[in-house]
Amino acid sequence: MAPRVVIVGLASDFGCQVQMTNIEDDLLDVLGLIDLQYWQLASSGHMPEEYDIAIVEGAVTTQEHVELLKRLRKTAAVVMTIGSCADTGGILALANCVDPDVAYAAVYGKGPEVARGRRAPGPVDAVIHVDYRVPGCPIDTDEFINVLSRALQGLADRTPVDPLCAICKTKENVCFLDRGEVCLGLVTRTGCGAKCPTLNRPCTGCRGLAPDANLEAARAAFVSKGLDPTELERRFDLYNAAREVTR
Amino acid sequence: MFFRVIDKERLPDLIAGLSSEYEVVGPVEKDGRFVFAPISDPAQVRLDYDTTLLPPKKWFLPPKETIMRFCRADEEVVDDEVFAPPRVLFGLHPCDINALLLMDNVFLEGYVDPYYKARRENTLIVGMSCMPTETCFCNVWNTDEVHWGFDIFLTDLGDRYYASLRTVKGAEILDRHVANRAVSDEDTREFQRVVHRFKQGFNNNVDTTQLPVLLDAKFDSPIWDEIGDACLSCGACSMVCPTCYCFDVADRLEPDQKTGLRIRTWDSCQFKEFAAVAHGQNFREDRASRVKYRYYHKQWGYLSKFERVLCVGCGRCARACPAGISPVKVIEALQTGEVQ
Ligand code: SF4
Ligand code: SF4
Ligand code: SF4
Repeated sequence: MAPRVVIVGLASDFGCQVQMTNIEDDLLDVLGLIDLQYWQLASSGHMPEEYDIAIVEGAVTTQEHVELLKRLRKTAAVVMTIGSCADTGGILALANCVDPDVAYAAVYGKGPEVARGRRAPGPVDAVIHVDYRVPGCPIDTDEFINVLSRALQGLADRTPVDPLCAICKTKENVCFLDRGEVCLGLVTRTGCGAKCPTLNRPCTGCRGLAPDANLEAARAAFVSKGLDPTELERRFDLYNAAREVTR
Repeated sequence: MFFRVIDKERLPDLIAGLSSEYEVVGPVEKDGRFVFAPISDPAQVRLDYDTTLLPPKKWFLPPKETIMRFCRADEEVVDDEVFAPPRVLFGLHPCDINALLLMDNVFLEGYVDPYYKARRENTLIVGMSCMPTETCFCNVWNTDEVHWGFDIFLTDLGDRYYASLRTVKGAEILDRHVANRAVSDEDTREFQRVVHRFKQGFNNNVDTTQLPVLLDAKFDSPIWDEIGDACLSCGACSMVCPTCYCFDVADRLEPDQKTGLRIRTWDSCQFKEFAAVAHGQNFREDRASRVKYRYYHKQWGYLSKFERVLCVGCGRCARACPAGISPVKVIEALQTGEVQ
């Protein structure tokens, strides 16, 4: 029997769910492997009572999200997160850098009133255990398929723990640091194939802090390259402002 | 070995001629640095290159390669053909040719690697003389000279090249594609003057006397912790190194889960999971032990097996390391007890 899957979105712009529809060539193959019971973006149906795999997109920003995640964890044998928002809190976690009352007032006028049940935005694994993750903003469809097939086969999660520079070197990119530009690849989790540096854009850290990153050494590297070391963390906040909250 | 001379202005004839028979790969410019890439026009070739971002090893051991496809249901291999087109690597410096000879010890002795072997056999090597750059230290390992491992080696004598022909094939292709003449006494004298000037050009003269003894004596030195603290464990050093050969092999299934691919990718001993084994054991969990391992393997482990160090002094790691860690600095730190 094909595993029953639900795809759920928390706070996000649904970009990663849209990205899943971009699988195109392989979408039918992938759908053939699973019994897709609920897909928030693509259907108006209701969440079933039972399912085997829960795929979660989006950051946790409300108490409601917390309850939902607890329910998912209780029901599903496997929880998989997709995208930066779910993985690190993503761009939404930038809200942690400002006074939330002021921010809410600026956006919604009435402020705290509309924000009942709100929570400092954070990643899914701050609330529940996550079995498999597909980091990135947006996710890479190839990585998604690979992680999903690992989940289906019951293979161990192999989210990389090293920084990006090695794969960037294999693409023969001239290092941004040597061109006097900030790049976050030296502390960001690899696995994206260094797409951005290869397209001549510095890494912005969307895949989160590499678990084996050496931040202090990275700051020192910035200094030796004539870059402002405080820029490392300031820029890293773009996708990773929730990191102090959880790590 | 025998020798011929060709006029510098005739060199494009050789490249164009080779292109009619082979895929020619040579140094070309990329964003102000250089890479080995396929050549479509002799004018692209930049023989004044200092060094390339990646060494030529990528043409024998690609960073990522599907080594076979298999069918899951019957566990049969469906495709394990090796892609090894006839190719010429043009313009390799002595360090890079020596590096391939060190790789050969690993991939062609004992357990022969059919992928590497097929490409090695289908590739001709045309070497090119160079001048030392700030990061070069091939002189300390004697890899600034190369006596085999190439088909043709061209030494730049200003208006002409002194061509050393190491193989019959090399002699044939030279003769077939470019006007050449016999070597005069004056050519040989000039050759020696050029080589001498080259040897005078090095400014890295790190003392490697009894290096294995130094390494063993300093096995527990706090120097390693200091270097480990500075290291980002990014693996850049291994990727750009012409003599680092470690790889990882992993299987993955196609989206339909019916067929699978076995994929080989470059690996690095600087990665945390490199020495991790079942049950969560990791022989080199901390950074210091990983950096130390890289140097021990290169300058002691390999040496004890093949009587050479596993480094050709190309300086690529020194250029690539964001923390400025390099063999010269590490050896000097062990000697002086201070990281510079
Ligand atoms: S460009 Fe960025 S990712 Fe690439 S090597 Fe440099 S710091 Fe690392
Ligand atoms: S260790 Fe560094 S200098 Fe030695 S061969 Fe490798 S990249 Fe070149
Ligand atoms: S390139 Fe430098 S910082 Fe990166 S792993 Fe190698 S020694 Fe460490």
